Amino acid sequence: MSIRNTKIQDVNLFEFADFDELQSEHIAAPRYSYWKSVWRTFFKNKFTVAVAALLLIIIIFALIQPMYSGYSPILTPNINNAEMKFLKPSAEHIFGTDHVGNEVFDAVWAGARNSIIISFVCTFINMIVGIPIGALWGFSKKMDKWMIEVYNIVSNIPFLLLAMILSYVLGAGMKSLIITMTCTEWIFVAYFIRTQVMIIRDREYNMASKCLGTRTWTMIVKNILPYLISVIMTYVSRQIPSLISYEVFLSYMGLGLGTTNASLGRTISLYTSYMNGYPHLFWIPVGVLALISISLYIVGQKLADAADPRTHI
Amino acid sequence: MKKGYIWRRLLRSLISIMIIMLIVFTMVYTLVPRENIFFEDSTYRKLGGKSDDKTEYVYSTWQKLGYLDYVRINDYCLTLYEAGSEDMIRAVEPDSKESQDFVSYYSGKGYTVEQYLQSGRYYAYKDIPVIVRMATWLGQLIAIDTPWSVQDPNNPDLQRGLSFGRTPTGGLALIGSGTTHKYLLYTDSRFPFIHQNIIHLNFGTSYPTYQGLNVMSVLFQSQGAEVKRHVTFETGYEAESGINFGTLRYKSVLDRMDKKKFVDNYATYDVDKNQPSMIGTSFTMGIFSLVLAYAIGLPAGLLMARRKDKLADKLGMVYIIFIIAVPSLAYIYLFRYIGTTVFNLPSVFTTYGPEDVRSWVLPIISLALPSIASLMLWTRRYVVDQMNSDYVKFAKAKGLNQREIFNNHILKNAIIPIAHGIPASLAGCITGAIITESIYSVGGMGKMLPNSINQYNNVMIVALAFIFSSVSVLSVLAGDIVVTKVDPRISLSEKAGRS
Repeated sequence: MSIRNTKIQDVNLFEFADFDELQSEHIAAPRYSYWKSVWRTFFKNKFTVAVAALLLIIIIFALIQPMYSGYSPILTPNINNAEMKFLKPSAEHIFGTDHVGNEVFDAVWAGARNSIIISFVCTFINMIVGIPIGALWGFSKKMDKWMIEVYNIVSNIPFLLLAMILSYVLGAGMKSLIITMTCTEWIFVAYFIRTQVMIIRDREYNMASKCLGTRTWTMIVKNILPYLISVIMTYVSRQIPSLISYEVFLSYMGLGLGTTNASLGRTISLYTSYMNGYPHLFWIPVGVLALISISLYIVGQKLADAADPRTHI
Repeated sequence: MKKGYIWRRLLRSLISIMIIMLIVFTMVYTLVPRENIFFEDSTYRKLGGKSDDKTEYVYSTWQKLGYLDYVRINDYCLTLYEAGSEDMIRAVEPDSKESQDFVSYYSGKGYTVEQYLQSGRYYAYKDIPVIVRMATWLGQLIAIDTPWSVQDPNNPDLQRGLSFGRTPTGGLALIGSGTTHKYLLYTDSRFPFIHQNIIHLNFGTSYPTYQGLNVMSVLFQSQGAEVKRHVTFETGYEAESGINFGTLRYKSVLDRMDKKKFVDNYATYDVDKNQPSMIGTSFTMGIFSLVLAYAIGLPAGLLMARRKDKLADKLGMVYIIFIIAVPSLAYIYLFRYIGTTVFNLPSVFTTYGPEDVRSWVLPIISLALPSIASLMLWTRRYVVDQMNSDYVKFAKAKGLNQREIFNNHILKNAIIPIAHGIPASLAGCITGAIITESIYSVGGMGKMLPNSINQYNNVMIVALAFIFSSVSVLSVLAGDIVVTKVDPRISLSEKAGRS
């Protein structure tokens, strides 16, 4: 009762405002930009920024240093100079020297360069192929029935056999290694995306979109993929280290880049035999490799977290 | 769950396995140069200079391995004349009329006809298509032993039949005659006590490594040195021998020693050796590491979920990131280094051999490390997801304490997706671990595939691919079935509105 009374009494205190078209369009909430928010969330954490900076320095260094050192595993200028072999790390030889008198520093960075390039290129190809196929696969029930059998088949071809045979047919090298690590790997990406798409395919907003006659492809690109950015990012951050690990494994089996190209995997498997006598030969490449993989993983995870809109509030 | 669904899934799985095998066959037999199979063959190397013998050896080996069909002029003439006759000796020479017939007949059938470099005699060969090879392989895959299995021209009067009796070690046995194996069914004191020899998987004969041995016996037979014991044979002959009577097989030509030991033609046998078979080694290692992984990974994952964002969770995350990001090769070496320097364990399996427990410790731990990490990660994920669900909030509101909610409600739901992976991990034990086994030089299955590929042992590659792919395809199916048993809400068959 009292409220109504007040209203009637205070009505004289108010004035009518003119209708302002510009003001009526104003949105009171702060302006939201997805990517800006992603970057803001990402850079908020000091630790993340430090790791990202470290990663950036490592990558740039790995890309540039080999150009100046000109390291190649087949060049062994100091092979007859016993004084140059197995030197401990010092100011002159930062990482020491190996069994043929080469600088471990050069070998490690040349290897890191190839490992980084291969893992990035392969991840890129796998994602480019895997994501669209996975999205369609998750969306179409008809396709699912067939694709699940294709998955059963492709994922069960012995990987090592495939790697071996491709290195026969194409010869050892960067190209054949990239083909080896992409020709079956995409199906795992596609399978992962398919499961994710299936989870959100039948949500109400997609049903509504479908009822309104949106085409499948538009729905995938506009409704579903943005939702998956953080999940995809998580996947990428695991895929890159796992591809580096693959390269190491293949080199260990004698199948990697061949003897003419530097690679971290080959360096590690080569230096393993000196582990007891000259532990630095083994631990330095492994340490650099671990540093690259772990920082890549952390940055990827943090990017994935930042890409999730729920963390932007 | 409907029976029909499982049958359909099984059928689809079988078709998948067949397609995988076709791809493997195509890769192995068309993309790998066929000359490569001789790299590891010592007989071939000895044939160095003698070119005709070499050609003969090369082509007959290829024929044996199913690459091609190989016909010599001798084979052709033997159908026309008797062996050793004058006509025969004349006809095999390159300028004879029969040789001309041979050339025109086989070129007409699509064969490539060539002449031996030294003698100039003719031979013909024709490649066998991959699909035919695979069909032959499949046809021989399951070998059933019947009294008509042995067809031996040296022994036309071989009796055929079955009878009951006892093995020399005193077990009951179904004894066959005319069968490949002497004891088709028998009992003895070894696990699983009743053995059968009626149905065998036949993957062919290994070549060029483990030459002449059956692929199955390479994988399943014990390795190492013969374990001899005092044995009395059927003839009363006594000797120190490692003979396993259950494995007695037909032998066409008996030597003096065989006649001393055996009363019949069943004189080929396997001996007991002191080290477990390849599959046995891998399986022992796999099972122990699996138990270790679940024993550590599950409780650790639960602890991380319970203490989310606390120290335990963060420490666990550090371990998981370490395992994910560092290549397995590197951390296995790291743990081996710690194990050998701090705990004084052997760095390779062969130092003390499989009899010593110390040999197994490091390989088993190394094998468990990645499984522990992924179990921790996923257990934590599932439990955390469950902790935020409505039924947990409801239970809390009802006044249940943390432990009751955890043990009675969350655990049951979180364990379902973990149970899905159990059959696959069990199956993974059979296939072995490539890196762990090669770093510790363990004589298991894991190193077989890379070794066979390196040594061009195509028969072995095909057999391993078949075993690995069947195990993995079928374990996915088994995982689905396990899930429906653990959680009755889950249905595998397609329903309206689901996919």
